[in-house]
Order: sequence, then C-alpha cells, then structure tokens
Amino acid sequence: MTDTTRQRGYEGPLERVDDCTWRIPKASRPGMLVDGLIFADERLLPLVKSDRAAEQVANVAFLPGIQKASLAMPDIHWGYGFCIGGVCATDPAAGGVVSPGGVGYDINCGVRLVRTNLMLDDAKPVIKQLVNQLIRDVPVGVGQGGRYVYSPDELRGMMQRGVPWLADRGLATPDDVACAEAEGCIADAVPGLVSDRALARGSDQCGTVGAGNHFIEVQVVDRIADEKAAAAFGLRAGLVCVLIHSGSRGLGYQVCDDALRALRDAPAKYGISLPDRQLVCAPVGSPEGRHYLGAMRAAANYAFCNRQLLMWQVREVFARIFGRSWESLGMTLLYDVAHNIAKFETHGVDGGQKEVCVHRKGATRAFPAGHPDVPERYRETGQPVIIPGDMGRASWVLAGGPRSLERSFGTTCHGAGRCLSRTAATKAAQGRNIAHELEQAGVIARCKSREGLAEEQPAAYKDVDVVVDVVHRAGLSTKVARLRPLGVIKG
Amino acid sequence: MYDIFEHTADLGIRFSATTLEQAMADAGRGLFAVIAGDLGQIRPVAEEAFVVAGTDPTWLLFDWVSELHAAFELRRMLFATFTVECDATGLRATARGERYDPARHTLAHEIKAITQHELDLRRTAEGWEGRFIVDI
Repeated sequence: MTDTTRQRGYEGPLERVDDCTWRIPKASRPGMLVDGLIFADERLLPLVKSDRAAEQVANVAFLPGIQKASLAMPDIHWGYGFCIGGVCATDPAAGGVVSPGGVGYDINCGVRLVRTNLMLDDAKPVIKQLVNQLIRDVPVGVGQGGRYVYSPDELRGMMQRGVPWLADRGLATPDDVACAEAEGCIADAVPGLVSDRALARGSDQCGTVGAGNHFIEVQVVDRIADEKAAAAFGLRAGLVCVLIHSGSRGLGYQVCDDALRALRDAPAKYGISLPDRQLVCAPVGSPEGRHYLGAMRAAANYAFCNRQLLMWQVREVFARIFGRSWESLGMTLLYDVAHNIAKFETHGVDGGQKEVCVHRKGATRAFPAGHPDVPERYRETGQPVIIPGDMGRASWVLAGGPRSLERSFGTTCHGAGRCLSRTAATKAAQGRNIAHELEQAGVIARCKSREGLAEEQPAAYKDVDVVVDVVHRAGLSTKVARLRPLGVIKG
Repeated sequence: MYDIFEHTADLGIRFSATTLEQAMADAGRGLFAVIAGDLGQIRPVAEEAFVVAGTDPTWLLFDWVSELHAAFELRRMLFATFTVECDATGLRATARGERYDPARHTLAHEIKAITQHELDLRRTAEGWEGRFIVDI
C-alpha cells in the first residue's frame, strides 16, 4: 500500500502556456483524452505542486466525452476524485458522462452576499454583541438541527420549486428569488428520486450552517476596484455586508452517497476505465445518469433554500441588535452562487455551439456581461461572483470576465483554496489562541468546536488576493470589491 | 491500531490488525475518533447490532463504516468499542457506545461522507491493513 500518511507532491509534467496557465499534456499519460490546464502563476505554482491535486486534474481527463480540457482554478487543492477547483465539461452527444464526484458530496455548496445600509462606524461598537447573538440564534456546528423542520412531503415540494417555495411561506421575497443563480431553482429536479435516508438527514437541517469550512461572516467593503461595477452591485467602501457559506447539508451528502453506490457497477457496464474509483460515472443519457441528475438538482434546490433560511435568520439577528426591521437596514441579497454543481449549458467548442454538462467542483459560474443567464439588473456588468477568502484577511466580489466563456466554460475560482492540511493546521495552532489572535487583528471569531478555528485559521489558506489576481489577469472574472472580515461564526 | 493521516481538505483514517475482524473494529474506532475526538468520553452504555453483506473486503469496509456514519447522522449514536465477526457472506457486529449528549460530549468534525478516493483494504504478511478518506 502506498504510504500517504504524509502528503506527497505532484511530480508529473506542467508546461507553461502563459503567465497564468499551465498544461499537463494529454500525451503524458495513456488514457487522457484531453490536456489538463491549471490557472496559476509563479507565486502559486509551488502550492499547486505541493499535493496531489494536479494528478487529479490528469485523472479527470480520462472521463468519456470530456471537451477541450480538464481545467483547474488557482484555488486548486487535493480533493477526492476531482480536485477542488476542478471544471470538466462533457458532451452527451459524444458519450459524455456525468460524475457525482465532479459535483461532490456537498451538492450546491455555495455562497451568498447580503448587503446592508450600515457603515463600519455603525457596526463597530456592537460587533461583539452581534457575533455572539449570531452564534446563539443561528444553528451552527456538527450535526446541528434547526428550528425549521420539514416533513418528507414538504421537503419534496421545496426540492421541486426551490426558493420560490419559501417565498410562498413568507420566508423569501421576490427580490431574494431574483438574485440567486437560476433564481434559486434548478429546473428538472426529481425529488421522488431522493432516498428516505436523505430526507431523514435533511428534515431539520435546512437553515443550518454545518461545520468544516462553512461560516457566516460580517464584513466591510475595504476597497473598490471597479467603481462602475461596484455601483451596479450596490457596494461602496465602508459598507457592512454578510457572507453566508453553506450547502445542501446531510440531505445533499446522502444524495451523492446514494448515487455513488448505485453507480458502483456502471463503469464495467458501460466499458469505462477510470484511474480513481471516486470518479465513478455513467453516460449522461443512461438511466443511472438521468437518475443522479434528477436527484442532484433536487438537492441543489434544497441548498438554495438552506442559504435563504440562513439569510432570513441573519436578518432577524440584525433587526434585534440594531432595533430596526431588516428592511430598514437595507438587508438585500446581492447574489447567491453555487460552487459544487453540474449544469447543462451551451458553450463554444471546436468552432460550433454545443450543449455540454459542466461539472464545477469548487468552482464558480462567472458569465460575462451580456449573457442571457445573468439577471437583468447585472447584465451590463457581468454576473456577480463571490469569493470567500479566509477569516483573517479578505474576501472578494468579482464580475464574470470577458474570457470566461472561451477559456473555462464560463467559470472562475470559488475561494482561496487550502494550502495546509487539517492536521498540519492543527499542529501549527498548538499553544496558540486563534480567537485571541483574530480579535487582536480586529476580527471577532466564535466557533462551536475546538478543532474549527485551528483547522480553518487564516494560515491554512492561500492568499485570496493572489488567487483573485490570477483569475483577473486570465480574464475569467474581474475585480470589483475587496471585503475584510469583522466577525465570523463557524461550526 | 489506527491513525489519522494528512489530506489537504479532508482527513484520512489508516489502520492495521492481525485479523480482518480487528481491522474492521479499528476502522470503526478511527471513524468515531474523527467525529468525537476523544473516544474516552463515550461510555459503552448502549449497543446496536449491524449486519453488512458483501464478499469484496474493500467494499465491505466501505459499507460498514458508512453504516456507522449513518448511525451518528440519523440516530446521533457515538460508538467506541466494536465486536466484529466476518464470514464469506459479510460482517456482523455489535457496536457499543451512547447517544450524543451535548451536555457531556464534545464533537470534533462533521463528516459529510465516506469517500471512495484511495479506499483500500488488503491482506499483508502481518494480517490486514486498510484506509479510507472522509469528506469534512
């Protein structure tokens, strides 16, 4: 058995294409159908090589029907099957497959950014009180259930209709629906394909943060990079915002787990040879492929609802602390984006237009200005892209870039990306008080588990400014505003 | 014997034992060590029986730890000791522990799922060794 008790790095080929793109040639490994392409610059390259993520980029190039290249964003790091930061488009008409590992367990894990009309001076005097109230009132932590409990029938209704289902129950506004990717509902969901075990896991978890890298963070806009786009997004320097990061909770994890089980024999059945069993897949049009897609879309709609209910509870906490309604605090949704999903989209391939199945595993859709799928209010600017960094430094708002369609199937990065393993981060935190260090740096951090702050400390992540700089220079998305953290709650 | 190994975003559990039964028990202990941190806080006051069918040892491992994970996710059960019997049809086990009590237990990690990435269980000259990676 290979010893993986210590991480080994990538030792295969990486050829420089330009100052922010590196290629793994398809000729470098028998079985690769296309090249691997990694967006990174010289500053990030040592980190790209530090774990086995690049090997996973090459593995994904084995998937039948893959188009153009197996791609990875600059926040790339070692995942399971696909790397985190991976993008893969397959052509159903060319035997293209769908792979649950290309979406991940946390189906439609994503982020949403909520604006307020508060300025830094309004929030500063109450930030500790605000963060303490958030961790008291918003369910966060391992296996934590919440106050919204739904029956199987209610869950099926939610998974069919997404956020509009919550709007009918007074838990979302028309504006909340309009400002989410796909208006908070992926079409063609088949909730009847979601197992009883998944329904049981999800019954009391809609409106809960969870643990791991999920969080709710109060932030302030500290720098505007593009005045025009920032104005279109309703952002200005000094404005207080709230960033929410969570996904489909136990329901989505179980949908993925069920699919992997159901697909166990699919590679043999369809004659597919894979370098990693976590890449298990089936042709998009096969019964197994259609089954997964229907259940995956249902879980994605649950995830949109989860983030909506989290935002709803955050609004209630702000109203309580500031003594005014959330409407009078101007708590409107800027945008909600998925970063773990598979979607059918039309893209230019080989000089023509093709409908392909785009897998984004830790990667964000970033459609440019003018694209019909960008909400009308943002169409002149490009789709808002929200990039969480780490709890000590910064996060970013970007806009879909002019070259994203041509270079990355309309995709950009999803975060900073880890650079330390969880065990290495824990070791680095020994003898330190991370919460105190963050408070000294002006960030109030509250975490439910002893491991959370250590494993998620700022040093565990790459510098998001560098990551964002790469996607900006590559034309995948453009810088709009930088936000810095004021307070955070985690599981 | 089990230990936790490095993975950038997640955590891996590696174990080895002289018998397949002990290897499966160690895999279970490794899983709950990731969930709860300290196994010493889990008292053996309740028990659950598990029957997992399968002939391939690696898939048997996967299905076994997935069932244990489901016991925590669905019934909030924490286990620390396991008695395992294996035969040609699969595995039968008794797991001992208690229901999660926030007043007495601290939890360390939320495991989303048991992944199949680098999943392995094989016979060695000394007995059995295996590993699995969990998604955090």
